[in-house]
Formats: sequence, C-alpha cells, structure tokens
Amino acid sequence: MHEPAATIPTTPTRHLAARRRILQTSAVGFGHLAFRALLDAEVLAETAAESGHVANPLAAKPPHLPARARRIVFLFMKGGPSHVDTFDPKPLLDRDHGKPPPFELPKVTFAAQGNLLRSPWKFRRHGQSGLPVSDLFPHVARHVDDLCILRSVHGTNPAHGGALLKLHTGSDQFVRPSMGSWITYGLGTDNENLPAFVTICPTLAHGGVNNWGAAFLPAFCQGTPIGNASTGSAQAAVKHIRNDRLGRAEQRRQLDLIAAMNRDHIATAGAERLLEGRLDSFELAFRMQATMPELQDLSGETAAMQRLYGLDDPITADFGRQCLMARRFLEAGVRFVQVTHSDSEVQWDQHGNLYQGHTKNAAEVDRPIAGFLQDLKARGLLDDTLVLWGGEFGRTPTAQGTDGRDHNPHGFTMWMAGGGVKAGFAYGATDDYGYYAVQDAMHVHDLHATILHLLGLDHTRLTYRHAGRDFRLTDVAGRVAKGILA
Amino acid sequence: MMPPHLRSHAGLLIGVAALLTIVPVTSRSAEPDPAALEFFEKRVRPLLVTHCYECHADGETSGGLALDTRSGLLVGGDSGPAIVPGRPDESRIVEAVRYANPDLRMPPQNKLPPEDVATLERWITMGAVDPREDVAAAPAAAPLGMSLEEGTSFWSLRPIARPAVPAVRRADWVRTPIDAFILAALEEAGLEPAPPADRRTLLRRVTFDLTGLPPTPDEVAAFLADDSSDAFDRVVERLLSSSDYGVRWGRHWLDVARYADSNGLDENLAFGHAWRYRDYVVDSFNAGKPYDRFLVEQIAGDLLPDASAETITGTGYLVLGAKVLAEPDREKLTMDTIDEQIDAIGKGLLGMTLGCVRCHDHKFDPLTQADYYGLAAIFKSTRTFADTNTGAIKHWHEHGLATDAEKEAMKKVDEEIAALQKAASSFRSEAMGKLRAAARAKAADYLVACAAFGPDAPLTEVAAIGTPRGLHPYVLHHCRLHLAYHPDDAVFGRWHELAAAGDVAAIDRHYRALFADAEEAWRAAKEADAKATSIADPRLDAARAALHDAAGFLAVPPKPEFAFDPETLAEYHRLEEAARIAESGAPDLPAAMAVGEATVLTEMPIHVRGNHRNHGRSVARGFPRVMLAAHAARSDLPAASSGRLELARWLADPEHPLTSRVFVNRVWRWHFGQGIVGTTDNFGVLGDRPSHPELLDWLARRFTDSGWSIKELHRLVLASSTYRMASSHPDEASADSIDPENRLLWRFPLRRLEAEEIRDALLATTARLERGLGGKTVPLRNRQFVFNHTSVDHTRYDSLRRAIYLPVIRNNLYTLFEQFDFPDPTMPTGSRVETVVAPQALFMLNAPLVMDSAAAWARALIAREGTDADRVHAAYEAAYARPPTEVETTRALAFLRDSAADGTERAWSLLCQGILAANEFIYVR
Repeated sequence: MHEPAATIPTTPTRHLAARRRILQTSAVGFGHLAFRALLDAEVLAETAAESGHVANPLAAKPPHLPARARRIVFLFMKGGPSHVDTFDPKPLLDRDHGKPPPFELPKVTFAAQGNLLRSPWKFRRHGQSGLPVSDLFPHVARHVDDLCILRSVHGTNPAHGGALLKLHTGSDQFVRPSMGSWITYGLGTDNENLPAFVTICPTLAHGGVNNWGAAFLPAFCQGTPIGNASTGSAQAAVKHIRNDRLGRAEQRRQLDLIAAMNRDHIATAGAERLLEGRLDSFELAFRMQATMPELQDLSGETAAMQRLYGLDDPITADFGRQCLMARRFLEAGVRFVQVTHSDSEVQWDQHGNLYQGHTKNAAEVDRPIAGFLQDLKARGLLDDTLVLWGGEFGRTPTAQGTDGRDHNPHGFTMWMAGGGVKAGFAYGATDDYGYYAVQDAMHVHDLHATILHLLGLDHTRLTYRHAGRDFRLTDVAGRVAKGILA
Repeated sequence: MMPPHLRSHAGLLIGVAALLTIVPVTSRSAEPDPAALEFFEKRVRPLLVTHCYECHADGETSGGLALDTRSGLLVGGDSGPAIVPGRPDESRIVEAVRYANPDLRMPPQNKLPPEDVATLERWITMGAVDPREDVAAAPAAAPLGMSLEEGTSFWSLRPIARPAVPAVRRADWVRTPIDAFILAALEEAGLEPAPPADRRTLLRRVTFDLTGLPPTPDEVAAFLADDSSDAFDRVVERLLSSSDYGVRWGRHWLDVARYADSNGLDENLAFGHAWRYRDYVVDSFNAGKPYDRFLVEQIAGDLLPDASAETITGTGYLVLGAKVLAEPDREKLTMDTIDEQIDAIGKGLLGMTLGCVRCHDHKFDPLTQADYYGLAAIFKSTRTFADTNTGAIKHWHEHGLATDAEKEAMKKVDEEIAALQKAASSFRSEAMGKLRAAARAKAADYLVACAAFGPDAPLTEVAAIGTPRGLHPYVLHHCRLHLAYHPDDAVFGRWHELAAAGDVAAIDRHYRALFADAEEAWRAAKEADAKATSIADPRLDAARAALHDAAGFLAVPPKPEFAFDPETLAEYHRLEEAARIAESGAPDLPAAMAVGEATVLTEMPIHVRGNHRNHGRSVARGFPRVMLAAHAARSDLPAASSGRLELARWLADPEHPLTSRVFVNRVWRWHFGQGIVGTTDNFGVLGDRPSHPELLDWLARRFTDSGWSIKELHRLVLASSTYRMASSHPDEASADSIDPENRLLWRFPLRRLEAEEIRDALLATTARLERGLGGKTVPLRNRQFVFNHTSVDHTRYDSLRRAIYLPVIRNNLYTLFEQFDFPDPTMPTGSRVETVVAPQALFMLNAPLVMDSAAAWARALIAREGTDADRVHAAYEAAYARPPTEVETTRALAFLRDSAADGTERAWSLLCQGILAANEFIYVR
C-alpha cells in the first residue's frame, strides 16, 4: 500500500473527496446561487470532467441515455390499495369464494390469513384496449387506453413502514436517499427558482421524512414538503414561507441591511465561499416567498379547470387540489412531484370494512386523477411526463375477518402513464388468485431501475460514494422492464 | 469419497427407467454418451442461454453463481452447488425453477414453462452431462480487499508509534509539541502560520468551542482587562469547569452515538428513557470520566464488577439505534439490529465500516465475514429486545429502576389512561350506532332520495337533496354508489326498475312496506327463538340482512370527520385529546434503555450474502483478526457470558491501533473543524490519509498516557499557538495556492455555528435562555407513538432550555435542526456538514423563534439608559463580542430612522433580527 508523504497527503481519492465536499457543503437550497461565480474555475472544470456533471449541482444535467420522460409525478395511495379489487381481476376468487387458499402462504405474513374473498366490485372492459377496471374507478377507466398497468410488482416487506421505505428509498432497513433525491441528483432541475423535488401532503408516519430525504446525498437533493397528511391541501405550505408579522417592504429594507452587514463582514473575514453563498441564499429565499404561494394559488384557474379536478365537490376537492398543484409544479419545471393520498387513518389500509373504505377512497381520487390525466394530455405534458400510481403494497386475496384484506407485498398493481411507456397495455401477472407475482415479476428495485431508465438514467451508473462505497438506488439489484417501453 | 453422481446410481436407474429412455450415466472420465450430449445441446444449453445467462454468464455471477461452465454449476454459488448430478430433488437449480420456495425462485421474473422445468430435471437425472469447457479456470478466490498481512501494515492498523517532536526553524512559535508538528509541516511546504487572533475573536472562538455559547459582554471585558500571562489558560479552566462544557461536548458524542428520542424508521415510537443516556453522557464529560472507562461502560456497563445504574445506563449506546420495530420476521429483526450495533461500533469507535462485511468480505479493508460473524455472535448472546410487544411492534430492552411502590402506583396511572381511552372509543361507537339506527329508520327515504341523482353527482349536490329531507349526505352518497355497484342485488332489483321509470312514489311504498315487514318478521322470529339468526321468508330475510349490514347500502362512513355532526365530532376529539394528553403527560416507571445477557452462543454461522436464511460455515465469537496483531492476543471468551466485557476491554486497550487514534482525531475535528484524518468515521482504505500522521500518533500516546483524560487533551490543544491563530492570513493568496483546503493549518478555519449553537446563541444573546441540566424533555410517554397515522406533530420545540434538551425525533427533526445540518440520528457522525441552503434564510427571516427573540431583545435594549448609539453598541457587544465601528453605528441609526414609521419597538425589532441573521452572528472566526 502506498504511504502518504509527510506533508500533504495525495491519495487518489482525495481530490474526488474534496470536490464532493464542495458539492455537498456549498449546496444550494431551492435553486441557483450563481454557483459558477462561487466556485473556483479549476475545481469546477475537474468536477465536470470527472463526474460528467456541470458545476451548479442543481442545474439541469444531461441524462445517461435518451430520456423518454423529463419529469415524474407519483400519485401515492398510502395504505395499500387492493389490486384484486381495482386493476387485476381474478375470476377464480368469485368461483372459490370462502374456500381455503389452494396455495402455500408466505413464511412470514403480517396477520393470520383467512379463506379466499371475492371482490365486491365488478370489473368491466374499457376503451380500445379493452383492459378491465373495476367499478371503483369509473373515471380513470375512461383513460385506460393511456395506462400501462403493471400487474406484477412485488416487494418484500409486509409492514407499512418497511414497505413505504422500500418503495421510496429502495431500503427498508437503512436510511437511504429517496428516489426523488436520486433523480434530482442525476438530472437537476429545469427551474432554478424552485425546488427540484416537492412532495405534497406527505405522511409523517411510516418512515416520515426519510421517504423524501436525501440521506447522504447533497442537501439540495432533499424533497421539499408542502404541508403534510394532517393538513388539508388548501392550507399546505412550505415551512416558514410566510411572515405574518412583517410586510414585504419592511422585509426588503431588513434584507438590504443584512446584505450590507454581510458585505462588510466578507471584507474582514475573507471571501469565503460559504459566506458569499449565504448572501445569495437570502435573496433566493425572499423570491421564493413570492413564487411558491403563487404556484399554489389555484384561484387563477378557470372554473372548468377546477371542476375537471373535482374542486367543486367536497369529496374530491382535497385530492383534486393536490393534483392541480402538481400540474402547476410540473409545468413550472419541477422534476419530481409526489402527491400523497393519506388521511388521519392509514387511508387504503382496509383490514376490515373493505367495501366502505375502498369505496370512499376511490371516490376521493377517481375524478381528480382522471382530470389530471386529461389535463396533462391536453397540454401535451403527458408525452414527456411519467405518471406513476400505486401504494406500498397490495392486499391479500384471502380475507382478514369477514370483510377485510391483509397486506400483500408479494404481487400487486401499480400503473404508469405517459413518458415512454406503452399505453393501453397490461404488463406481468399475478397467479390465478392474485397472491404472488408470477409472470414478468417486477420487484421494487426493477420498478426503480425502470423509472430511472425512462428518465434517461442508467441505474447502475447513478452512484454516490459514501462511507467507503458506491451507493445506488437499486443497491445491487434492479432490471429495466423493457417490455413496457413504448 | 465417491463423487455424488456416482453414489446415486440406484435411485437414478429408477428415475431413468421412468423416462423410458435408458441413458447411461457418464462421469467426466468416460467418453460422454452422444445421446446425452445431444440432449444437452438441443434442449439444455438453449434453455440456459435464454433464461439464465443474462445474470450468470460472461463474468456476471449473480449470487456468486456462473452457469456457463460445467464447474460453475458443480461448484455453485454462495448458496452451494447448483446441481447434484443424478439427483434433481437435491439440486438447488431445480428447487429454484420449481418456484416452490418463496425465497429461492429463478428466473426471478418468470417461472419457466413446465416443459423446461422437466428438461432440467431430466438432464440432471441423466447425470447432467455437460461438455462445456471451463473458460480459463475461474480466478482463485482471492480476498476481495487487503490481505491480513497487508492490513497489519496499513497506516491505521500499525502499532501506534511514539514519534519524536520535530525540530523547527521558528522555535519561538512553539508553545506545545502540537505546534512543532504543525509548524514542521508548514515550513516544509513553505508556509507561514497566521498571526495570533485578537483577544475578542479568541474569546468568542474558545467560548463557543467549549460551551456552545457566546461570551457575555462581562466575560469579554474581564478577559480584555486581564493582562497576566496566563489569562487565556484561566479562561480555559473556567470554561472546562462550567457545566456548559458537558452540554457542548456531550452533544458531540451524541452525534457519534446516533442519539435520538424516538425510533424513527418504520414505526416512530418515543424512546421515553433515552434522556437518561443523554444525561449520562453530559455528566460523564463534566465529571472528566476517562475515555477508556466511558467506552467500557457503554459496551458492557451491565457486566462490570462495579456495575451501577449509571454504568448500565451507558449501555443505552447499544440500544439507541433505529430499528424496524414492526418487522414480522424475528430472526431478520435480530440480525438487522446486530448489524446496526456493529456498524455503530465500527464507525464510532474504530473508524471502520464493519457493516460492509455482513454480506461479503470487505472490498477494500482487511476485514472478513468471519470477523463480522465473530462479533455478531457476541451481540446475538446479548439481549437488545424484550420478550414483550404491542401488536406488531416489538419492545426494545430496558433495565427497570423502579421500586415496588412505584410499580404499584403506576398501575393506577395506567388504569386512568385506559379509562380515558375507552371513554373516547365508547363515545365513538355509540355515536356510530346512533347514526346507523337513524339511517335504518329512514331507509326508504334514502332509497327515494337516491332516485334523484346519479352515482357521479358531487357531494354538494347530494347534500342539497339529502339535507332538507333529514338524510346524512355521506350515507346518501354511499347508498347511491352501493346501488350502482350492485345492479344484480335482488333486494334492490325493484329500485332499479322503479327509478328507471321515475316512479318515486312506488319506491317509497315498496320499500317502506318491505322494511317494515322485515323488521316485524325479525322481531317475531327473535321472540319465538332468541337465538334465531334469520327469517324464514327469504325475501324478508334478504331485506333484513341488507338493512342491518354495517357495510351495506346504509353504511355510515367509518371516519368520524365524515360521519359526525360538528358537535359530536368536537366532543369526540375532546375525549381523544384528553386521553392523548393524559398519556403524553403521564410518568413512566423509571428505567434505562440498556442491554442484558442472552443465551450465550459460542459460535454462529456466516450468513451467505447476509441472508439470515442461508447459513454457511460457523465461526467462533471473536474480534477482527487484523486488529489483533497490533496488541495483546485475547484469551478465549468465557462460555458463561456474551463476551461483551472482553470486547469492551479489548477496545479500550491503549495498544489498540484504532481506538485512541480515532478518538483524538474526533477531538481534533471538533476543535478545528477538520480532522487530521478528514474522514473521522472511516480510517480504512477509502478514508482519507492523515495530514499529520506523526502528530496523530503523538496525540494518541499522550492521551492514553494521561489516563485517557479528555480535558487534558483539550488543555493541550487550546494552549497551542495553532489554536490561537487568526482566521485570516497576511499572504492569503499564496498560502491558498499551496494548500487550498488549509489541511496544514496555516490559519484557523472559519466555521459556521452548529444548529444547537445557533439556537442557543439566539436565546443567550437576547437574554431568553433558561439554564438547568438534565431531565426528561421529550413530551411523550415511553413507547407512545410520535406519529401514528394522523401525521399530527404534537412535539413542541418552544422550550427555552439549551438545544440539547429539545426532542430529537427521527424521521421528523425539528426544522431548525434539519435545516442547519443536524446529523441524521440514525448513523454515527463525527463530522457534520456545513451547507448553505435557502430554507435556512427562510428560517432566519420568518421563524417565530427568531422573530420573538428579536422582539424581546428590542424591548430590553429600548429599556436601557442612554442614547440609541449606546444601544447599538450594546447590541453589537452582545451579538459579536465587539463594539460597532462608526460606520456600523451610523448605518444602524439610519435604519432605525428609515423604519421609524413602524414605531420604535418594531424598528428596533427589525434591526435586532438583522443583527441576528447576519453572517457575523453565525460564523466563528
């Protein structure tokens, strides 16, 4: 092993580490901080040459591969919607209702399993594709020709917390960067005055912040939460975005004072990068105070548009508002938008009351999602926006109690639409009863690999060195589901 | 021993006979049978190429398995041989393609068609004839990382040297041996050290450094007035003996110990007793506990001959990690928890990424899976979990400190809480029952109303129809959906006909009569037989069942917000809140999060690829081999105990190559903002090399020679000229070109205050800080949910005590902590990052903490005697430990004049906030 000289050590990793430190520490917040001016040109050039990334860490970066989607929106249904009651019909459940399952159950299940339980909803074929959708989603069903239904997704963890973390970060055991953070790290943002990754009304339970956290990735990669699941979407706001006590003119005057003081301080303390960065960060924050509420203000949308998203109906208004906000963020250049359907219960978690619970939940999201798809399409955004819908797992085809279903991570449905996926297409399959993914099985790692691929990122090349090794969203696994690529 | 494919002769013949094709068994020595070869070429090879080669050929060896050579199959991967020729039922590859074992399914995406499975079975039955050449004999299984020999000569694993203090040219600069090492390197690089910092700067620096607080104007004045030669030394002694020292330096250790007041990860439960560990750490620093003792207590405080509540509390270190509490697989939970402990010890105490070795030998460092499982056996012999659980959530292990009387008293508290919880749930179910009864009484009205709108109607429209008729909008809405979902339900067949015909009156007549008859028949049936479960008339029985089905057409929404009227909802929330507050405020039985001893495992199997269901060879309990060479060989671990005490003592040995090096480097990092080894938690191959290797060893030796005294180490560092340098340099440009990262310390590094310092300085400067040490501060009962499903954040951060006493909630850190780089409390952190992000500015501009502090400060300044200029002077002294310049005074006064229209107090408040938000406040030179 090569030993360092007595003075400045020159290990091969040192320069890389130094550059990484600069990227990590002089990170910007929501947007640009005139980075080129702040970092010395030599380091920038080297960084760019070595990592293929340009120096402003948040600036849009070229993807590894031709991208099919430029941005992504994840409509997250917290609690685990039942696939056998929504997008994955199982006629044998009707036939064998009430009988014991004729297949082996997993070694570890969340709760004791009962007999087979048929779906209380009818499935009908829709659209040109003739894909079946249950009566729970009559509005989404009208867009079935835009959907790419993934019927063979599977994970490993049968508990909410573990499954949420797995779906959002790829790991149910460690704190790892969320997929939105990885995508931000890989692609940067198209609007330097906004966060690259926002999550609207996320749940604070079951992993909480870790589900949109940057972990060891640079701070600028973390998701910016807008409210949380306990706030109605009309009240949702970025923390400390408003000052209720000071007017804008007063704050401007105060900001000018701070800027003058900071310039003096830099003159005596030395032109440190961080000191100058902080000067700019105040200006950016001040601008942000205006731009974020503007984007969230839906009053400028026409009545027809508000109706399209269900803002006229108390049942759909809350989720509709989230979806409409999401569209405005996407349009403004936000790279990753997550919209969470979650309430004071674990929304889709019907261990009992399957019929009432799923009826209510579907009624809240069906119209908004259909409106959202229609709107994206009308604006031409659907071509290069990837829409992802689903929960952290599906539900068992077996009964829990008399009218409930347990967690099922072994085979469930998510769907995609838009950017680069086949439309009016169903991919993969669960077994005859819907318990296990058996055909074109798509593990959560595969889902991540596929999402990254659609965005032009190679999941094996999107790496970050931390604590002595290179990390990936997909760890050591992940296969792109080529069968769904348009 | 006979090769397996020959041993299995007898069974094979039966199998082969069954195939009606007699294929002679071949061994490698014999010439392969042409028919068998043909079978392989025509059937097996294409199958392998199509389905397996993507991951198991051409150097791709997922799971360590190559399927493109014969030896690859026979030797197999991490899980053992893929085939046993002649025995399909014993061949892993057959088990995998049969898809019967949920943990071993190949190919992972799709089950092979049955005929392909049969082909593989038949081929193996036939003896697995395989003509494929072994491509350039697979590379010998060389260790992935460094060999043991290379490892023991790697810089951080070599015995700690006793380096001589180097000679330097500018000997007058040298106040302590540290300076000689630093200056020698500077001189060699052609650099000059910066001049000494001025006294105000130095005092502000050392006060923040040792206590996390700014110096008071009085302390500044006293130091300026003291012209004795040991004035600074006496400041250091004053600070080291103040209890604020333990608050500051204990917090540093809490970063390494990944301290938190909640579990985070999957289920966020309060660690209601973690504070005892936090206080233990603060007290240990304040008491000057030697580091070796501190370390032994944290690993094995329960096993010491003089074990006490204090030393047992120290083992909270092992229990504090984030755990997947709802993990249903106990064995996985156990191994994941052990992994977390080994990772914490590896990074925190040894600067080694031991966690990397769970699944494979280390790719860079001289650490093997045998090392890992040797340690894992010690922790598997340790109890980190109790046997109890709450539903799916497992309980971590605690050491009870309660007396019998306290336990008795607590029963009453628990009963009171349970009663309040029951009051809320009973109220809810009663109210729901009433709503159901009310809906049943108006069943026909609901069906009539449903004829007035379609299933697509928005709730506003539904409410407009239902409310005037006294119908619940949500029930009515659900009723309409139910009718749409069940067009074939016989009970409602009539409704669909009549509704289509628009005959509302007939709906009313039909269903009013039907339900009345059904209820009457039901009453009669119950009267006749109290145990009756149905009515004889199937038509009426179906109506009765529909009427009483809680999930049927009259289902009441289970969510109280939708079901209850405002008054009922308010009452329900009041009861729920009363129960929650009672629980949050209730005391817990005194206990410490601590480990205990479990059944001793003297050895345990290596887990192949870290998979707890895939066991390899067994290894005995032990310590990483590469670290043994440098100091005394250990004796065998006792059979009667876990071996933790021996592990602790082995770690705390002055000759251990890592323990003292890692710790003195941490202390150096906390004083200077960067370590001698930059990667404080990684002393391995991928970590940084020391900028001053001799100094590191000299400090390590000096530290252990002093009896591992941390305060002695501080004195040594703080007495140096190195520490007292200015943060700017007269020849900055040239120094910067030689050593841009200031690794050689040609000036003192500027640093931003850490999150807690910012918060405490805001309160201290504005005279709002409340003093006092220790005690429970997380406002939750032990194991109470921090976040259940509601996402409502009940944790408050408005306490005015020092920030170390604010709750550390994993998954949802206090905003100020999160934005100002408080470390992720799930992993050991020796070196916090320093970011500049816009949310920090939002916080300084808009957060109530800052606004309130500025307002309080403004009022106090206005109340002072003197002129506005005097007040500005006082503000600068308090915030920056210096008076304002004339320009600054003028600017501040001008700002006050410009803001005069807002009123005096508001103008001052704006100015004060500006002073607190400016760079000078949160940067230390």
